[in-house]
Amino acid sequence: MIPNHPTPMNRHTSKLNQHEHEERALHQQGAQQQTAVEFASAEEMLRHDAGQTPVPPAVAERLQRSVDQEPKPPRSLWQRLFGR
Amino acid sequence: MEPETPPIQSSKRGTHASASETSDLVPCGRPERARLAPPELDRIYEEHSRPLYYLALRMLGDPTQAEDATHDVFLKAYRKLGDFKGHSTVRTWLYRITINHCQNLLQTWHRRHIHTTDDEAVWERAAGAAESPLRVLETKELGQRIQKALDTLSEEYRLLLLLVADEKLSYDEIGALTGQTSDAVRGKLHRARKTFAAIFNQTA
Repeated sequence: MIPNHPTPMNRHTSKLNQHEHEERALHQQGAQQQTAVEFASAEEMLRHDAGQTPVPPAVAERLQRSVDQEPKPPRSLWQRLFGR
Repeated sequence: MEPETPPIQSSKRGTHASASETSDLVPCGRPERARLAPPELDRIYEEHSRPLYYLALRMLGDPTQAEDATHDVFLKAYRKLGDFKGHSTVRTWLYRITINHCQNLLQTWHRRHIHTTDDEAVWERAAGAAESPLRVLETKELGQRIQKALDTLSEEYRLLLLLVADEKLSYDEIGALTGQTSDAVRGKLHRARKTFAAIFNQTA
């Protein structure tokens, strides 16, 4: 049966747990501080955001398909004669 | 029909100004050269698609619509390169097409602004005199917060901030794209920054 009152042993354990909790909280706080980013202006923030926002590859693929379907420009007489 | 970009001074704001930007892409004017050859399209797409997609994304507020818009803008550019006279850089020309395209979409969808002019005035007053730095702890949700703040801004402020975020655009070019002088751009940007900061800090 587990005693409800703290024994010298489990008091120590509880202290350890508390210490562990504090360390974890500090660690998390530190991690948050590391990820904190400060921007001097709105455009600096937008620049950062734009840098994190790639164009989805599907756009290039779709554009290529659309360009392939476009009518080809007329070939010049020189091109038609020499087949280039 | 996309309007031709008026002649623009080539002064640049940032150190990343690209004086030689796609200088060899000016069409020679012969009909058979009016369309982009695929390698040239590849190069233009590679160089300019990212800022244009970002502009469309933040103007329209929807990734799928931004994808469609980016596709349509480059297809238009492909078809209309023959009309491009080289008075501006290719980037500015593409920006103009993108802005017109997105504004047309917004008008067609009858999207109404969330705010009114009065709302914006409230935010401007709330911004106060000091321009506090914008601090974020969680960059994961940064895009959502930015979108929320931009949606609350007027279309003019939103566009100015998005354009000035591209270091390759000069104030003169931004003025030409938004139909005002570079001095007016500077003045409005000052207010736009403060308003954005006030709104953004409320989105946390």
